[in-house]
Order: sequence, then C-alpha cells, then structure tokens
Amino acid sequence: MTTATLFGLCSSALVGLGLFGVIVDPHPLRKILAFNLLGSGVFLLFGVVARRGAAAGLGGDPVPQALVITGIVVAFAATALAVALVLRLFEPEAGNAVESEATSAGLEVDGGRS
Amino acid sequence: MTMLADMPAVMLLAAAPAVPLLMIATAIVPRARERLIAYLPFAPVPAIVAAITVPHGTSVVLPQALLGLTLEIDKPGAILLGSAALLWMAGGIHARSSIREQVGRFAAWWLITLAGSLGVFLAADMIGFYFFYTLVSLAAYGLVVHDDTPDARRASSLYVALALLGEALLFMAFVLLAAAAPGGSVLISDAVAALSASPWREPALLLIILGFGLKIALVPLHVWMPLTYVAAPTPAAAVLSGAAVNAGVVGLIRFLPFDTAMPAWGEALAVIGLLSALYGVIVGVTQANPKAVLAYSSISQMGFIAAVLGMGLATGNTAVPLVVAFYAAHHTLAKGGLFLSLGLLDARSPRYVWLVLLPAAVLALGLAGLPLTGGQLAKMAAKGPLGDGAIGTLAHLSAAGSTLLMLFFLLRLNTTVPQNMAKPTINPPAAAWLVVAFAALVMPWILFPTIVGASWRHALTHKELWSASWPVIAGGVMAAVLWPRRAILRNIPQGDLLILAERCGPAARRVAVAFERTDDALRQWSVASMCIVLLVLLTALALAAS
Amino acid sequence: MSVAAVTATTEGYLLVLAIMWPVAGILVALVVNGRNIERVAYIVLPIGFAIATAVVMAVAQGGQSQIYVVGGWAPPLGVALRADGISAAMMMTTAMVICATGLFARGEFVQPAEGPEARAPYVFWILLFSIWSALNALVLGSDLFNLYVALELLTFAAVPLVCLKGQKETIEAALRYMLFALIGSVLYLLGAVMIYGLYGTLDIGLLSGRVRAEPATWIAAALMTVGLLAKTALFPLHLWLPPAHAGAPAPGSAILSALVVKGSFFLIVRIWFDAMPGHLSFAAAQLLAALGAGAILVGSVLALRQQRLKLMIAYSTIAQLGYLFFIFPLATGFAAGIVWSGLAWTGSWMQLFSHAFAKAAMFMAAGLIAEALGHDRIADLGGIGRKLPITMFAFALSGLSLIGVPPSGGFVAKWLLLIATINEGQWWWAAVIVVGGLLAGGYIFMVLGRLLADPLSPLVIRGAVSRSRELVALSLAVCAVLLGLVPLQPSDFLRIGR
Repeated sequence: MTTATLFGLCSSALVGLGLFGVIVDPHPLRKILAFNLLGSGVFLLFGVVARRGAAAGLGGDPVPQALVITGIVVAFAATALAVALVLRLFEPEAGNAVESEATSAGLEVDGGRS
Repeated sequence: MTMLADMPAVMLLAAAPAVPLLMIATAIVPRARERLIAYLPFAPVPAIVAAITVPHGTSVVLPQALLGLTLEIDKPGAILLGSAALLWMAGGIHARSSIREQVGRFAAWWLITLAGSLGVFLAADMIGFYFFYTLVSLAAYGLVVHDDTPDARRASSLYVALALLGEALLFMAFVLLAAAAPGGSVLISDAVAALSASPWREPALLLIILGFGLKIALVPLHVWMPLTYVAAPTPAAAVLSGAAVNAGVVGLIRFLPFDTAMPAWGEALAVIGLLSALYGVIVGVTQANPKAVLAYSSISQMGFIAAVLGMGLATGNTAVPLVVAFYAAHHTLAKGGLFLSLGLLDARSPRYVWLVLLPAAVLALGLAGLPLTGGQLAKMAAKGPLGDGAIGTLAHLSAAGSTLLMLFFLLRLNTTVPQNMAKPTINPPAAAWLVVAFAALVMPWILFPTIVGASWRHALTHKELWSASWPVIAGGVMAAVLWPRRAILRNIPQGDLLILAERCGPAARRVAVAFERTDDALRQWSVASMCIVLLVLLTALALAAS
Repeated sequence: MSVAAVTATTEGYLLVLAIMWPVAGILVALVVNGRNIERVAYIVLPIGFAIATAVVMAVAQGGQSQIYVVGGWAPPLGVALRADGISAAMMMTTAMVICATGLFARGEFVQPAEGPEARAPYVFWILLFSIWSALNALVLGSDLFNLYVALELLTFAAVPLVCLKGQKETIEAALRYMLFALIGSVLYLLGAVMIYGLYGTLDIGLLSGRVRAEPATWIAAALMTVGLLAKTALFPLHLWLPPAHAGAPAPGSAILSALVVKGSFFLIVRIWFDAMPGHLSFAAAQLLAALGAGAILVGSVLALRQQRLKLMIAYSTIAQLGYLFFIFPLATGFAAGIVWSGLAWTGSWMQLFSHAFAKAAMFMAAGLIAEALGHDRIADLGGIGRKLPITMFAFALSGLSLIGVPPSGGFVAKWLLLIATINEGQWWWAAVIVVGGLLAGGYIFMVLGRLLADPLSPLVIRGAVSRSRELVALSLAVCAVLLGLVPLQPSDFLRIGR
C-alpha cells in the first residue's frame, strides 16, 4: 500500500464519518463538528492530490497546498458563523431583546399560529 | 396580408383594442378612476366604426414594443366585432346607471374585458390572440365577483379555475401549432395551413376543441356558465353572454382547418354540439331564475354553433366561418338584449312591463328562428353547412327546443317580475337596449345577401316560412303542454354536473394532503440529507449510462 | 471556449471593478458611523449599477466575452475572470434587483433617530454589498475553486439576512439554511478536488478540452452538481427554503428568492455547458429535469395550501426554480446549432430573469401588506387591495408573469421552453410546464381574490405605507412584464462567448 492510497483511505473515512454525523446527529453543534470532520477529509484528499507534482521532480504540486489553506480559512469562517448562530439560538433571552424591534417594523412574530 | 397605405383604416384597427386599454391607464389617478364608468359607452366606438368602414383584408403589424402583434380584419371578424362592440356600448350605458358600488374597480375590469373581447376578433397572430383571449377570459373574473356575495365568490372561483384550465389547454395547442409552422411563424393562417401535415395534428385539434369548447360551454364543460351569468351584475352578464363568449367562437373559426375535410373530428364536434343544444333545453326548462334559463339557452345555442362548425370541418366547407360569424352575431345581439331587458324589468312599474316584454319576446323567439325575425335568417344561413343528413335534421329540430326554452323564459320572467318590485329602483335608459334589439332584428336582413349570396326575398317564400314556422309551432305546443305541469320538473341546481364534480372535492383534497405529507417528510433533516447522498449516487449512475 | 492563451480584453478591468466596488463599499461602511451607512449606499448602488451597465455594453458591442487575467498570470497558474452573454445578463439583473431592494429597504432599515445605534440596519447594508460582490464573482469566475469561494461568500452573506430581525424562528431557519448549504458546498469542493486530481487544472476553459468520460469524472461531477442543487433548494433538497425565505424581512426575502438561489444554479450551468460540454448523459439530464418537475408540482400544490402569504411565495419560488432545470434536457444540443436548443437556452434564462424581477416584486408587496396589516394570513387579507392599490397591482403583475400570461417574461420563457420540448419530442415536460402554469394561476388568484374581497371586519391599518416603496415593487413587476416584449427567438446576446 502506497502512502497516497493510505491517505486517500483516511480521507474517505473522514468524509464518511463526517457525513454520518451531519445526517444523523440532532444537535446543531455536533453537526458543525461533523462538518469540520467532513471538511478535513476533503482537505486531506487535496493534500494527496498535491503529490501529483512529485512526478515532475518537485516535492509536491504547490497549487493544492495554496487552495487547501484558503479552504481551511473558508471552513473556519463557516464554523464561526454557524457557532454564532447556535449561540444566538440558545441564549436564554433569545428573541426577547430584539422582539420590540421586530414588532416596531410591523411583523407579528407568530402570526400563523394564532 | 397587404399592408395598405390607408392610414386612417389602420389607425382605427389599432384603436379598437387600444382605446379601452388607454382608458384604463387613466385609472391610475384615483379621481379619474371614480369617473371612468361614465365613459364606458365610448370605449367600443372605434371598434364599431372600424367594423363598418375598414376594408376587409386591411392589416397592420405593430412594432415589437407592442409585442409585434398583427391585427387584421376580415369579414367574419368584422361582423363579430361590430355586433360585440354594439352590445358593449349598450351594456356600458346600462352599467353607467345600474352599478353603484365600487364603480372604479368595475370600470377597470370592464375595460380590460372589453379590450380583450374586441381584440380577439382582430388578432392575426397567435401571441396576440392569446393575449386578448387572456384579457377577456381572466378579467371577466372581476365582473363576475363584483357583487361579492357568497354566490358571486363561488361562481367566480369556479369561473377562474376553468378559465385558467382553458388558457393552459390553448397555450399548449398554440405551441403545437407554432412548432409545426414554417419558419417559426406565429401567424394563425400559417400555423393552421401547416396543421394538416403536422405530426402533432391530432393532439393540437383536441386541445383546440377542448380549450375553446370550455369558452363556449360545450357539455360537459358548461358548468361555469349558469353560475357565472346568474352571479354577475346584469350588464356584465349581458356582455359576457353575448360578446365575451364569442372569443370561443372566433377561436374555433380561426383555428380549425376548414380547407381540409376531417370527417372524424368534424362529426365528433357536431355530435357534442347537438348534445349540448339538447342538454341546454332539457336542463333550462327546469330553471326558475330567468338568468339561469338564459344561460342554459346560451349553452344550447353555442351547441348549435358547434354543430355547424363540426359539419363544416367534416366536409371541408370554407364558407362555414362566415356563416357561423353571422349566426353568432345575431346571438350576441339577441342574448345580450335579453339580459339587458332583465335589468330594465327590475326598474319598470307593472303597467309598462309589456313595453319591455314585447320586444323581449320577439328577441327570445328570434333565437328560435321565428319567421321574419333576424333569427330566421341566421338559421337559414346555417342550413347549408349542416346539410340534409341526420345532423342537419336534428339541428333543425333543435329550433323547437329553443322555442320551448324561450317561452319558458318569458313565462318565468312574467312570474318573477312582481317579486322584484320591492327593489330600490335604478333606471337604466331603455333607448340603448332598444337599439340592440332593433339591430338583432334588422342586421341579419342587411347582411344576409352577402353571407349566402341569395336575396333576402328568398326568406319570404312559402317554403322557407313554413320551414321556419313549424319548429316554433311545435315548441309552442310543447310549452303549452309542459308549463301547467312545470311542478313535476325538478329544479336542477345551477351548474347541474357541477354538483357531481364537487363530490370529487374530498378526493382532490386528499391528493393535496398527500402532497403535504410528502413535503413534510422530505423536509425532515435526516431525510433531506439522505436525499443528497442518494442523489449523488443516482446522478453518477445516470452519467455513467451514456 | 478554446483558451489556448487567455489574454485580457480592453474593458476587462470592469470585471474586477464589478467585484471590488461593493467590497470597497463594505470597507468604507466599516469605518463610518452607522448612521451614515445609508449615504454610503447611495454612492455604492448607482455606481455599481453603472459598472454592470458598462459590462453589458462592452459585451454587446464587442460581441465576445470580456476577459481579465488577474495579476497577468494566465490559467492554469493564474485565475481569469470572464464575462460572456449570460454572465453580463446576470450581472444586469443582479444590479437592478439589488438597487431596487436598496431603495425599498430605505424605509425598513433606518437607524432610530435617538438612542443607541440599531444593529440590523447597519448589518443589512453590509450584507447587501457582500451579496452583490459575491454574485458578481460567481458569474464572472472561471476557476472552479474561485467559484467555490464566491459561493461560500454568497452563503455567508445570505444566511444572516434571514435572521436579521432576530426572532428565534428566524435564527432556527438561518441555522438550518447554513448547515444544509455547508453540506452542499463541501460536496462541491470534494468534486472540485477530484477534478483537479484527474486533470490538473480547475480552469473551466482548460477543463473543457481535457475532460474524459470515465467513472471518476462522473462521481466528481455528480458531487459538484448535487452539492449545488442543495444550495439551489431544488426539490427534494428544499427543506431550508420555506422558513428562510418566509422568515427574512421583505428586502432580504426579495434578494434571497430573486438572486441568491440562482447563483448556484448558474454554476451548475457553467459546469455542464462550459466545463464539461457534451458529457451530460441523456439519463442525467432527464434526472435533473425530473427533479425540476417534482419541484414544480410539489411546490405549486404546497403553495396552494399555504395560509401565510410569505410562505406561499416561498413555495412558489421552489416551484419556479424547477423550470430552470429543463435547460439540461432541452438545451444540450445548443452547441451543435440545433435551433430549438437555442430556444430552450433563451427560454431558461428568460425564466431566471423574469422570476427574479417578479419574485422580488412579490416579496416586497407581501412585505408592505404585512407592514400595513401586522400579519400576512391570506384568509384575512380582504380589502387591503383597496387600501394599497399600487401594491396589489405589483402583486398582480408579478403573479401574471409567474403564471405565464402574455405579455410577460414568464410567458416568453414558457413559450420557448414548450416549443423546445415539442421539437425535442419530450412532451412529458410540456405537460408539467402547462400544469405548473395552471397551479400557479390557482395560487395567484387565490390571493388576488382575497385582496379584492370586502373585509370581514373593518380593516385596521397599523402603519402608513410609503408610496415610494410601493412604486419600487411595482417597477420591478413592470420589468418582469417588459421582458415579455423580447422577440420569441433565440437571443443573440445570451450566446455571446460560446
């Protein structure tokens, strides 16, 4: 088994685990973690792909490495945003602080339920 | 398709649908909107002038900014346009004094319907035809719902549902026609000429007959008509029953290929038409409300028209469009006139009732072809295409049914008048109505020679007079026998088959609920995300299957 | 798209400007006081609009794609931006809807005159600029990874728009949208990584020459396509759309429904028509169209069953998105010069543009109605048409475009698509298109009937509705109608660059 295959299998496992977590885990925070696992799998795959450049005598193809860094930044931003939303959702006074703002703009909060 | 250098004629042609549309534009100003109703009678004036003065064959292609529509006037179109415009004018005069609430809104709907109703007679391309047809079909919703009673709401919902269905059927039909037309032409004449060789001929014809059949209320697509005409305010019912319904007639005239004999399609249409003619009479005599009787009479009359069109299609008779336009124009004036007379009766004191009833009686029996009325000529003209076979004989017999139905209408009218006396009186002027009634009586005599190529004196021979008389006499006898026994006629609810169709309501609701359940299930997180995985696999497999 | 050596065109700088100008707006907004951010918007919006117009003019006059090579490095090492006919048209639509939304939002997102600065107005404008920049990047990008970044930017800007008002329900909706979109983007990225592994490039132009039909390509393409479908909310992946689009404030809903979901659709078209032309199998095209058909039927029936106006409009969006996917079975012969494929190509884009205008107008109208009444229960809308005639007119016009009544962009779209289905011999899609129009007629008239009806009880109007905001909604609806005046032919502009 070459290292490339090994890393490929690892990344597949990560993707599979992440996907499983995203689908079945009911808690949003765990979903976010699973998403990160999924992302790591993809980045690992990208790292394996970078080995292509090795054939041309280089240590590795530089393009995927640059892209992986960008990807990690994007994934980090996504995680931050999602976590911020989860925090807002579980704030004990969620909704109350801003409710006056909502009603002043004329929208009934639970118009459909009454 | 010659573009004449005759500017006034071309301008008039374009003005016929454009003037009402421009009048609506003024409705943006609220004050103008409230006053718009006073000007309704003037909206159809350009159309009347165009119908009389513009030489047949004049056409105009509007710029692309106006959809690139082609308007063209031919003889059937001119006859239908003139009669419809006259009725719209009389209806406008009636509406001006009888509509008291929400006048701005009523006027806006009226003008849109009017523009569509007149435009369909002039449109020479499918896009323009569809545009005007949509205007007249969908805007009539606003007229039907005007009174905002529970009945009006039910009728208008049903109406708009079926109107949309008709729109959908015709959309598909026009697409099939356009797909087969040479060089992507959207001209109706090109598309119909290419129809007989089209690979989609059969579905196209089916859709055309179903789509326009809905508009002219062929049984069993007729359920909307009685409800709609009863619910609409009287002037609206008059123009809908007289003028707007002809959008369906002109559609069949324009889109059926009369230069190719198609016996199967033609005879099928004729048989359905005769069934409708008979059905309208049978259900109509059970109706207590005179408006409903008139609505069933329309179903019957439109059935007769469908029979004529069907026989024309079966034999490849290119004279049929003109004959049908002639017959339909008479129906426009007579039926519109009868509806308007209902509005007048509401307002008259009992002493003068006969002043309305008498002309109404002439109009009513004219629809049955009473000798010396315009109706006699209309029926005579229709005889040619109908032929002497079984269909022709049955169609001739249907005149007896029409007589019966019309006599019932007059008798019902007489019995319902006293009940209406308590109503606060509005007093629409009778003059406009008399003009329509007079036109129904006289117009056919003027046009007759140009339709069948024989002098009107031909109608006064003993043979023709007798031929027109005996169905009327037979109908009279039937009425004399049936009227005293009318108690045994069970009052069939308006819209008859609709009551059966409404039983399907729960089934439709179950389907909708099933859709809702599917949606609920798919919106579960785990289901939706499993769907993603599944779709990836499916897509990959589908990509491999090349 | 043969790109042996990509060189920049003279007006290529406009493309960078189109992406960077809104970003410049964000940077300025970050340093100015929150009360002045609206003034920044008045500068950013018109100039951004002018840039989009200039791009359209340049593309139309040149008759070819405008290209900019970032940093002078040609692909595969560098990244190129290119504006062909469809991207220019998308940019124009985006600019029009965003500027209209900006005008509309003036009344909704103002800083309170006294007291502390409110967060929502400040954030709204920044999100609006971000979406604009992201959408421009998305339609101009020609590198699969760059497009991924643009796609993520779009999502990150769109999600907070949902929960701007901060109620619990909307935060839940936003989170659901965010997480589902993340699955979509990670699948897309996985596909893109595989493509790089296979062909050593991510540039769309280079890929079109290198792609081979092999299992790994199919899996990569399937991952990318389905990932994007999740972001487009194509049935059955639409779970996030109704609560998100219905819960957002009216200007937000307008942007989300009109533009954001179209971004990922645009990318699917890029993949199948530019990166891998000719590789979409018949079965796969049928599968995509079948999902579209399911969207039309389920979305329309569900729209008919809704009791809340905004939810009805959201379900209508699901249905209307379905029509876009008929581009795959019908327009694939497009490159080969088959006439009706050209019709389907034009028809699909017309559907996209006219729906963008109509749906933005409709959400704005619904927002105004909700503002006036304090609720949006369809059953209790009676009589509001009399109080807000312009709003009702805007709703009606945009509704007619959705049904496909002439003259409207919706009619042109359906006409062209139907002709293509008939010529292509795929009449089953024609049946779905026609039934979809019928159902759309049902839900539009259901609401119009209520708007026109007499109120059950005397109407209580909670707040005055500004006339100018009503006119903004109306003008967008008029745009949808005016699109109906284009000739019923394949558009030359939309095929520039291919």
